[in-house]
Amino acid sequence: MAPEEMDEFERELRQALERRPAPPGLKRKLMAQRSANAARGVWWTRLVRAGHTRGWATATAALLLLAMAGGGVRWELDKRQEQRRGEAAREQVMTALRITGHALNEVQTRLAEHDRQAGEGER
Amino acid sequence: MAQDWQPDFERLVDEHQAMVFSMALRMTGDRGLAEEIAQDTFLEFDKSLRTIKNAEHACWWLRRVTMSRATDALRRRRVRGMDLWVALNEQDGVTAEEKSSPLGARLEYLLTTLPEAQRAALILRYQEDMMPEEIAAMQDAPVATVKSNLQRGLKLLRAKATSQLKEFIRGA
Repeated sequence: MAPEEMDEFERELRQALERRPAPPGLKRKLMAQRSANAARGVWWTRLVRAGHTRGWATATAALLLLAMAGGGVRWELDKRQEQRRGEAAREQVMTALRITGHALNEVQTRLAEHDRQAGEGER
Repeated sequence: MAQDWQPDFERLVDEHQAMVFSMALRMTGDRGLAEEIAQDTFLEFDKSLRTIKNAEHACWWLRRVTMSRATDALRRRRVRGMDLWVALNEQDGVTAEEKSSPLGARLEYLLTTLPEAQRAALILRYQEDMMPEEIAAMQDAPVATVKSNLQRGLKLLRAKATSQLKEFIRGA
């Protein structure tokens, strides 16, 4: 292969490989896709961008997860405590009702006794 | 200096879309796929914009990612067992304005029949005017490998052109 022949071939190849214009709609589609992505607002993408590095993003995500898990545990404990208080209050009301019922029964018995004695006196 | 550079995505798309599309088209031989690759590459570029230091870095990044995406797309096609090559000229919707000379168009088509590594080296060398050392740095490959791919690719392309395009070669 003679060098001049090679040069000519390479020149022809270079000419054949000139850049082609991109399809007319490419930029429009691209910008639309970009806007759609931005509008979707994928929160973790934002987190990664805001964090600058993956390390920051991972640490932030881990902290978030930890906070969420902590919040969940706290909520569960609060719920149980509330339940226990509710049960104790119910128990107190029931006791009070039992005491009141007992007192009323006592009063009723005494009144009945009093009526009976008064009836016997009149006779 | 690098801190002064303010990347403008839209302007960068205007500036580099022909480069990205042409590289993808010549690697895959398929306009539809090339357009998809170009879109994916630019969307990825948008995400990485913070890491881009200057205009040269942007161009380098786009070339590298386009080649990598095109190679991945070709691999996926091979796995699916699809017919790899779609003719680059009339059958594939290329307009008359886009066509180069008849010899150029044939050469462009023959390029798509070369092995992938040789094709990539020839595209970067003759479309992008990159030196073998720059191609090697971009591909993380030894310069000797790039030079070998260029030589072999040229030789094979020339042989194909000689046997298939005699009328054009004689006329040139």
